[in-house]
Amino acid sequence: MATFTGSMAPVLVLWLAMSLSGTWAVDKGNFKTCDQSAFCKRQRALKPGDSPYRALLETMELTNTRLTLQLINDNNKVRLLLELYRLQGNMTRVKINELKPLKPRFEVPDVLITEPSTEPLSLLSQDENGVVLSLGTESQRVIISARPFRLDIMEGPEVLMSLNSRGLLAFEHLRMRKDTWFSKGPPGCTSSKEEEKVDGMWEETFKSHSDSKPNGPSAISLDFSLPGVEHVYGIPEHADTLRLKTTDNGDPYRLYNLDVFQYELYNPMALYGAVPVMLAHKAQRTTGIFWLNAAETWVDISSNTAGKTVFGKMLDYVQGSSETPQTDVRWISESGIIDVFIMLGPTPKDVFSQYASLTGTQSFPPLAAVGYHQCRWNYNDQEDVASVDAGFDEHDIPYDYIWLDIEHTDGKRYFTWDSHKFASPKEMLQALEDKKRKMVAIVDPHIKVDSNYKIHNEIRNKGFYIKNKDGGDYEGWCWPGSAGYPDFTRPDMRAWWASMFAYDQYEGTAENLYTWNDMNEPSVFNGPEVTMHKDAVHGAWEHRDVHNLYGLYVQMATAEGQIQRSGGVERPFVLTRAFFAGSQRYGAVWTGDNAAEWDHLKVSIPMCLSLGLVGISFCGADVGGFFKSPSTELLVRWYQTGAYQPFFRAHAHLDTPRREPWLFGPENTALIRDVVRQRYTLLPYWYQQFYHAYRTGEPIMRPLWVEYPQDPATFVWFDVHTFQKHNGAQSLYIPVTMSSIPVFQRGGSIIPRKMRVRRSSSCMTHDPYTLYVALNLQRTAEGELYIDDGHTFNYEKKEFIHRRLSFAKNMLSSVNLATDAEFSTGSWIERIVILGASKPSKVTLKTADGQESQLEFDFDASMSVLTLRKPGVNAGLDWNVMLQ
Amino acid sequence: FIILPPDMHFHMIIVAVFWFGFVDSRKIRGISSSYKRFFRERKSFLCIDGSKIIPFEQVNDDYCDCEDGSDEPGTSACPQGRFYCTNLGFRPHYIPSSRVNDGICDCCDASDEYNSHAHCQNACWNLGQRERAYVEGQMRTLDEGLQLKQQLIEEGVLLWREKQAQLRELQQVAEDLQTKLEERRSRKQEADRLKEQTPRPPEAGDGQNSTVTGTFKLLDSNKDGSITVDEVQAKVALVHDEERVLSEDEAVALLGGDHQMDLTTFQHTLWDILTNGGRVKVSALSNTFLFVFLSDLREKLAIDYGPDWEFLFLNSQCYKLKVYEYTYTLCPFNQVTQQSTAGTEVSLGRWGMWEGPPKNQYGRMVYENGEPCWQGGSRSTTVTLTCGTETALRSVKEPSKCQYIMDFQTPVACQPVLKQRGIHSEL
Repeated sequence: MATFTGSMAPVLVLWLAMSLSGTWAVDKGNFKTCDQSAFCKRQRALKPGDSPYRALLETMELTNTRLTLQLINDNNKVRLLLELYRLQGNMTRVKINELKPLKPRFEVPDVLITEPSTEPLSLLSQDENGVVLSLGTESQRVIISARPFRLDIMEGPEVLMSLNSRGLLAFEHLRMRKDTWFSKGPPGCTSSKEEEKVDGMWEETFKSHSDSKPNGPSAISLDFSLPGVEHVYGIPEHADTLRLKTTDNGDPYRLYNLDVFQYELYNPMALYGAVPVMLAHKAQRTTGIFWLNAAETWVDISSNTAGKTVFGKMLDYVQGSSETPQTDVRWISESGIIDVFIMLGPTPKDVFSQYASLTGTQSFPPLAAVGYHQCRWNYNDQEDVASVDAGFDEHDIPYDYIWLDIEHTDGKRYFTWDSHKFASPKEMLQALEDKKRKMVAIVDPHIKVDSNYKIHNEIRNKGFYIKNKDGGDYEGWCWPGSAGYPDFTRPDMRAWWASMFAYDQYEGTAENLYTWNDMNEPSVFNGPEVTMHKDAVHGAWEHRDVHNLYGLYVQMATAEGQIQRSGGVERPFVLTRAFFAGSQRYGAVWTGDNAAEWDHLKVSIPMCLSLGLVGISFCGADVGGFFKSPSTELLVRWYQTGAYQPFFRAHAHLDTPRREPWLFGPENTALIRDVVRQRYTLLPYWYQQFYHAYRTGEPIMRPLWVEYPQDPATFVWFDVHTFQKHNGAQSLYIPVTMSSIPVFQRGGSIIPRKMRVRRSSSCMTHDPYTLYVALNLQRTAEGELYIDDGHTFNYEKKEFIHRRLSFAKNMLSSVNLATDAEFSTGSWIERIVILGASKPSKVTLKTADGQESQLEFDFDASMSVLTLRKPGVNAGLDWNVMLQ
Repeated sequence: FIILPPDMHFHMIIVAVFWFGFVDSRKIRGISSSYKRFFRERKSFLCIDGSKIIPFEQVNDDYCDCEDGSDEPGTSACPQGRFYCTNLGFRPHYIPSSRVNDGICDCCDASDEYNSHAHCQNACWNLGQRERAYVEGQMRTLDEGLQLKQQLIEEGVLLWREKQAQLRELQQVAEDLQTKLEERRSRKQEADRLKEQTPRPPEAGDGQNSTVTGTFKLLDSNKDGSITVDEVQAKVALVHDEERVLSEDEAVALLGGDHQMDLTTFQHTLWDILTNGGRVKVSALSNTFLFVFLSDLREKLAIDYGPDWEFLFLNSQCYKLKVYEYTYTLCPFNQVTQQSTAGTEVSLGRWGMWEGPPKNQYGRMVYENGEPCWQGGSRSTTVTLTCGTETALRSVKEPSKCQYIMDFQTPVACQPVLKQRGIHSEL
């Protein structure tokens, strides 16, 4: 490692110079284009055409649950093994690996929550051209064509999806390096060696970094055709529009977890996290593709209607000359195998449920984590924390968590405290606890190489560090200077890491301290593309194979540590920057180091929507923007947006001026206070939504097509602030002032709120509910109410209240949705507000014991708002209210 | 509210207890005595803003009926409401309604948590005692501080006069020097004119000789034909050492180890040092030095040192404070610096201006244009002046990068106004 360390100082200087330069755009030169990534370039050079692959039907074996079949590449005679499964819940899994690889190829572990349950497959017909199989009980079939090999999934006469229809299946088989056989041989060999170098098959250089590629080429690729589909979504994380664009005229979307300094918007560059899941939507059907591969991945999208104008499409329609719209997708990964889950919907909610059955749902966070988070790099010391905390009380703004960034540690040694600035962390935590508030402290996965640092010594002594290609501990440069990176892919390493969160290990901590995992792409300041060398070694595997999984494992181990420290009682809260498919199980995600610019505020919406579509609901962006300093107007607007996104945290860069909510004059303080309070009144609704996401895998923040795939025109909408009613199917021009946030409640929904906003969410536990009932044109409405203790896992033991609230035939009723669950609450129904109501002559409340009483009410005829005064009934009981 | 002298404090509490005990048998929770009149009518209640009449049973029934929150002074039902903590023994005050029964003790008399899981103890008496002790301490500090301030004001006036006198004196010297220079210039012009008329080769050393003599005469203050150690010390300065005055040893060294020197020796020894060495120079010769000093003095006297020149004494002082690994130095009206243990010194700003609020104009100083920062801009420091019996730097913080905040304590920041308003205004 000596030479490596030697080269660090200049690198650091360079890095500093970069942050000094003050240009507010990513240095694209630091990150690879497809052309600079040898396997992407090789694979993309293959154009659609006849596939060299042929299915050897005679090798087919069909058991009750699985079909296997060999494929042969007629060009090089290498054989592949295809496995096909019908999975429960309308999914099909296709695995393709080398039949006899030189050594095993990496298959992603720990992402699927369980081995998916299969359903029987049956053979419908077979001839020399192919095979037709029935997929379960529905009218679905899969057709395997032999020459060239392709797969078509049909339902009735309709093709839902085709694989290798464009002939882009490619599988770089593992091979011996030719020149190594003659490494000391005659000079005649050099020409082939040179050729391979040019291809980047056995070695690749990017900037000053060399990738030794001991296993040679190992890329895989497959294409998918989606007939009738014009809209595809997902494959986060990209700072781009919600609907994915075609990539014909540029780079493919890239999935490779990277610490991108000052990322640029509206391009397909890779960012901090990667979820290889794409959703395809058309009015009648939504499907999904889950490409389970953790190596660097690129996704190409093309469409036969992409270039056409609306008029062009209409013309096609009128003339009847239109070819069916179709989107074609192609996935390319650097190593591993093809393991793809085809989720066949048909509704968006079916796809969410299918994906959730594979990778799990959003973890159910403690209620407090759904509140407001106050963060900054950095709150300098305990006094600073105390004064910011007091500021919230002075200005009557609620918050739940205050955050400490890297400067709180002793020299960026995580799990420690700076002994001057944070001399008595337990006292600080107790002072927060006294106000029912909490704290988050950062713990990053790069560990300072320092023989006086316990964590480092233990990891080194246990051999838990990731190794470099030469077998030594991998060292890179990060916040603490020279740092090692624990091998989180090892279960024993993760167990040890988790144990470090025990109260007797992590000194100065208490129950109200939670964790933030940053830099877990992993970020290596002096590594290629600011991350780890691909030839670093994780046991039997290369970093190349596991790269996109690293961040997931860090958060997994950290969340496990938090669970363990409480003896399995308390829910964890861990925020991560890097993520992968399945990360939803471990906590929250944010969109990384954004900037204080209007475009960054705007892009936070599609970024979190995209994450929600692939299961990660608990998403937010740094309110105010991380880099640069926001104008007051931008800051206020960002609060107004962030308050309506799942994860609501303000954050700021070290070099920016302070921006706590009360620093911009009384008017702006009032605006920010108002919107944070709106968030808190809606916490019961958010919490119920989180419970729903945890149960179903459905996103909390949803594009309209998810909620209303059919016809949105029949709805009415109520402005939640003014109760103004708007009919659907129209474009509205809504004038706004600084204080107005256009938020609408759909007619037909019931939303529970707590109107007594207090210092923190925990202070509101026993408060009563106000129900907002927005009637639709049929004068009905539905909603749910979920209540539990807000912080333990006891909901898993059925300790909760879950009720359906429904309004029909002039009666609002609360019925138990979980009769096997039990929980008692002190909360009661304080008020019922019915939007779009008419004036009743009498309102009668009937409780479970049969008692009837008249409720006072107030009717606002101008807005058709009926307010029922103080039903007073316990929120956990059966009751109904009759309007007469 | 009523402003009472300190000794009446206790009487008032007693009166309050008496009044509460007798008059108010049906207590309305969460109101101050001055609000009782709104709740006298026991049949109905008119919201204080006059917007609505409600049955009296709906007062404090844990449901908000009035827009202004006035019907629920004792519960958390109204978002805009406030709850009155009587806090006998301490200060009464209002808290937002949202803090009633939230499980956190806010009123020291525990009255806000009448229906919660919080176990609040009545801490008013202790708090009151602590408060009174604190106030007494503050009063003592203020008294002492004001006395000290008076002294400093008196000293300031003297200092001001002294500086003014010095200024006048220097101005006189400068004028004299100016006159002499002009005389010399006109003589030279005259000579040049004569030279032009009768051209002759320049005599080397001629001009030099007169300068040598002139310099010698300048140094020889008592005109006795020989320069002494005192005379050298008075008028020769080290150039590279901020014009530092020479020590006696240094002066003796310049005089060639002797205690005096005549013109001839001077011409061959010290003169060479003065003209060639560059390390020392004759101060009085350097009119630029004089003018620099003069303008510096003018500048300093132009600074606003307060109505009684009470801040003037800070001018030549510096105050240090060590915080973690840094030592901060505040030299009022001059500059603020930060020195790391490694020794590097960074400027955190040079004197800018007074920036106190209108009511306390001299409450805050700003030092600007210090060392540049990473992300643009430059370091600056805001110094808040607080009343104390000593003059000292009390704390330094850097809430945002490159923006420092200092707390500077000094008797001259003590204000008699403060004493009049006192703590009782908050009652």
